[in-house]
Amino acid sequence: MNLNNRKYIILFFIVFIGVLYFFRLIHMQLIDVSWKLRAQEISEKRKVIIPARGVIFDRNKNKIVSNITYYNLMFVEKNIVDLDTSSFAKLVNMSVEDVKKRFLEIKKKQGTYYNKNTKKRTSNYLKSRAYPFLIEITASEMATIAPYLNQFKGFYKESTSMRLYPYNNAANILGYIAEVSPQNIKNDPFYKAGYNIGKTGIERYYEKELRGEKGVHYLIKSAQNNAVEPYENGIFDTLATQGASISLGLDIKLQQYSEKLMQNKKGCVVAIEPSSGEILSLVSSPTFDPNLLVGKKNISKNYPALVKNKNKPLYPRPLAAEYPPGSIFKLVQSLIGLQEKVVTPNSSFPCTKSMVGCHNHPKAKSISEAIKYSCNPYYYYLMRKVIHQKENKNLFMDAAIGLEKWVKYMHRFNLGKKIETDIPGLRSGLIPDVRFYNKWYGKNKWKFSTIRSIAIGQGEVKLTPIQMANIAAIIANRGWYYTPHFIKKIENKKIDEKYTTKNQTGINKEYFEPIISGMHKVIYEAGGTARLARIKDISICGKTGTVQNPHGKDHSVFIAFAPKDNPKIAVAVFVENAGFGGTWAAPIASLVIEKYIKGKIEITKKETRVLEANLLINTKNEK
Amino acid sequence: MRNNKGLFNNLDWILILIYFLLVSIGLLTIYSVAYNEENASLFSFSEKYGKQFFFVLIALFCGFILFLIDADIYKKFAVPIYFSVIFMLLIVLFMPPINGARSWIGIGPFGVQPAEFAKIASALLLAKYLSSIDLKHQDSKKLFFALSILFLPMGLILLQPDAGTFLVFTSFLFVFYREGVSFDPFFLFFINNLLRLNYKRTWIGVHFIPIAFIFIVLALLALLSNSYSFNLFSYKINGFYLLILSLFLFCTCFGFIFYRFGNKRERKNSIIAVSIAFVLAGLVVSTVHLCFNKLASHQKNRIELFLGIKSDPDGQDYNRNRAMAAVGSGGFYGKGYKNASVSSVKTNHVPESETDFIFCPFAEEWGFLGSAFLLFLFLALIIRIIIIAERQRSSFNRIYAYCVAMILFYHLTINIGMNIGFAPIIGIPLPFFSYGGSSILSFTIMLFLLLKLDSQRMNALS
Repeated sequence: MNLNNRKYIILFFIVFIGVLYFFRLIHMQLIDVSWKLRAQEISEKRKVIIPARGVIFDRNKNKIVSNITYYNLMFVEKNIVDLDTSSFAKLVNMSVEDVKKRFLEIKKKQGTYYNKNTKKRTSNYLKSRAYPFLIEITASEMATIAPYLNQFKGFYKESTSMRLYPYNNAANILGYIAEVSPQNIKNDPFYKAGYNIGKTGIERYYEKELRGEKGVHYLIKSAQNNAVEPYENGIFDTLATQGASISLGLDIKLQQYSEKLMQNKKGCVVAIEPSSGEILSLVSSPTFDPNLLVGKKNISKNYPALVKNKNKPLYPRPLAAEYPPGSIFKLVQSLIGLQEKVVTPNSSFPCTKSMVGCHNHPKAKSISEAIKYSCNPYYYYLMRKVIHQKENKNLFMDAAIGLEKWVKYMHRFNLGKKIETDIPGLRSGLIPDVRFYNKWYGKNKWKFSTIRSIAIGQGEVKLTPIQMANIAAIIANRGWYYTPHFIKKIENKKIDEKYTTKNQTGINKEYFEPIISGMHKVIYEAGGTARLARIKDISICGKTGTVQNPHGKDHSVFIAFAPKDNPKIAVAVFVENAGFGGTWAAPIASLVIEKYIKGKIEITKKETRVLEANLLINTKNEK
Repeated sequence: MRNNKGLFNNLDWILILIYFLLVSIGLLTIYSVAYNEENASLFSFSEKYGKQFFFVLIALFCGFILFLIDADIYKKFAVPIYFSVIFMLLIVLFMPPINGARSWIGIGPFGVQPAEFAKIASALLLAKYLSSIDLKHQDSKKLFFALSILFLPMGLILLQPDAGTFLVFTSFLFVFYREGVSFDPFFLFFINNLLRLNYKRTWIGVHFIPIAFIFIVLALLALLSNSYSFNLFSYKINGFYLLILSLFLFCTCFGFIFYRFGNKRERKNSIIAVSIAFVLAGLVVSTVHLCFNKLASHQKNRIELFLGIKSDPDGQDYNRNRAMAAVGSGGFYGKGYKNASVSSVKTNHVPESETDFIFCPFAEEWGFLGSAFLLFLFLALIIRIIIIAERQRSSFNRIYAYCVAMILFYHLTINIGMNIGFAPIIGIPLPFFSYGGSSILSFTIMLFLLLKLDSQRMNALS
């Protein structure tokens, strides 16, 4: 028996294992990349830094939207050691029961998943993951908790940036931010669950500018999911950049004042700077404090109440409410009549009350007097001349040709089509065209007398308040306008060209003078409909409207601009169920104008009357 | 220091060089893994690297003491050394358990694991006993006695329980094989008495260890094939049948080759041998297959996890998965010293990364270059010890050297194996490398004892 050979067998085993392991190392470390990926998955963490949103200023550099730091109280169950529940409950000002309930609630909220292999249902809740125990704690509340937090292992604070509205105004303009919907996440890879996004208003329209750029920090994490150190000393990290700050043409002081004037009233105020198209104020009444919709906690508490409120504070009336314009429409009709040369500034028509009702007034001897008296029959005659220009022998076909021309003018005034501007929720109003009536009455089955009520802004015609204000701006500018818009300046970016491009209406400048003089007479001459709109030292031009309302008391409407020469402000005021235009809408508009131009109100009697009025009691619940 | 020259005469400097390389790389790896900025000094005693440095110094001191002592003393005192260790193994069973095992005897702030020293003591006694008996006339009593030297500490270690060290004791069976200890006495007892035959020796008894190795490979194949199934013409076929079929084809081929090319006398025997081999292999596979299917599901699960048939990376497979990710992520050059992101103590993804899983941070930091180098270093160490063993004149020295080689071989195989998914997760340290006082001390003593024996190998005949 030769035992010496056996050392080779033993050596064979040793070398066999060595070679086997050697090739295994080659496979694991050089060929198979899956272990590298697995190691990354285990040890690396991508921490996204969400930047603070951009700040918003008004035209006078007042900060109207800013950010404030709130805190979330986070916990990682794995790191909690011997939690003293009663003293913890005392710290966070909750009962012991509620603390226990809260833990269960968090676990439940994570849902479960069904593992097909093991056929077991397990919770998505992970002991090693951080969850918020309390959200949105204010800095002062946190200050009382923070000093004792180190006694409770596993709990820590995390700061979040939230919106703050230093003025309680302009909620309908600024909008609010809230957590993204699954649809948002699907549409834009920027968003992940839990991010915030602008839901309405400026916050939504300028979301891309305001949200800023995310930063990414690559970290090495521990088995307990804690970040240990930056990966590769942070050479791959990017910084988060705060969203661009933007300035609006809005005058927050004016907005504040207009909102106050509209208190206890249902309706709108829209003020535009005619020379730039910038919206100075846009009130939707009743309104609400924008701070009510800051943060998850507030939204879940206040949003349902706002939705349920019968006065619909969330509804953007100035942009979306389509009202018949009433007599203010006569201004546009006059301009079309003059441009179409079917009337002259000195045309006169009798006040034939058999055609349409009118109030008692002397016969309008010129177009400016027709405006002053707001004579309804005058505009029936005028509109008939516009519609029936005798271009076709067939009366019906002639009406269609005339209406088509008229609609074209309307569109140039941005009526009957949406104002393409920087806020969501706008509607187009309604200017009935040939197709509309053909559908309604049948082709060649309608003529002027069929559709005559549109002559005085009743019937099918519908305008939004922002369109009404734009009419005032167009007249103030004598024929042109910039698209009404909010934006004034964006940090590091030019504003959209469409806001700095003049839109022409195609009405000759000279035709505006008789109209403007009529609007002046409305306020300053005996027999004018809006004597309440007079302001000392400012010559103001306006036109009242009283919109017939089959559901209740008439709506009061007034559009105006001032001063007459070199106008600074154009205003539209619409007060629902307030009756005659000169009674409420006109004084409100004049106060807005006075406040804007003078910065203060000199005679407060008118102001007091408006502020004290409660016109909400006239309103019925809308369908 | 008059006899300094004599002290370090005839020492195997290659072994010493490898030893110092391993210890220093190990120390640096522990330093990197457990690095704490607050106590950045290698000598800060509050940190593990500081402690390990201290342990290494103690170990070297003990090693130095061993050089002063005449090597003959170990052979003389092998029995008392053995029983004092057995006594310690008994005492340890009455100690309070740490991590569920009673394996520590506390002395002040430090603990000692007697099981680590039991390996040396058993190796010494085994060497003394096997060198004293005449292997040509062995009987079952002598074999039983030799095995008892192992079984006594093994039994006590199993009571702690410490499965890793228990397993390491089976490495001595390779030494039995090298020394020609046959397991025939056992086999012959059964065969001759039960079957009324009169064999002098059997092939199985003589080559028991390599056969056991083949048995293990077959068992693994049986387990792997059991969980494998495939579809053949809408029939679901279990991999077990495929394995039996391939064994049959394998044996038939061998049988045919023997029959076709062998001489007349060999033909008959070879056919019988191949048939018997096939039947035996089939029996092994079927038994394993049968036993496996009888196991409780959680045990089955464990085996399947180990074989990589099932994966549960965040549950039962956690340690292995993390360790393999760490090793695999090292790539060719590694992530650089102190840059282990998966296996550092700070991130704590790999548990015990300074002790049982120390290969992880090393492989992660130094990549394939480093881990292959370490593997070669260990293989070189083991092969060098076998070379040393073979040059011994006394069988006591040779047996002891072989014991050391096989212990190191087992530790290497299991420890690195569990880091690369080739061995079950059994907690045994990587010699000279892992953090731990008992480990470094016992391995140093084990190796330095060998060095001393080797340096005096010329005296053996005198």
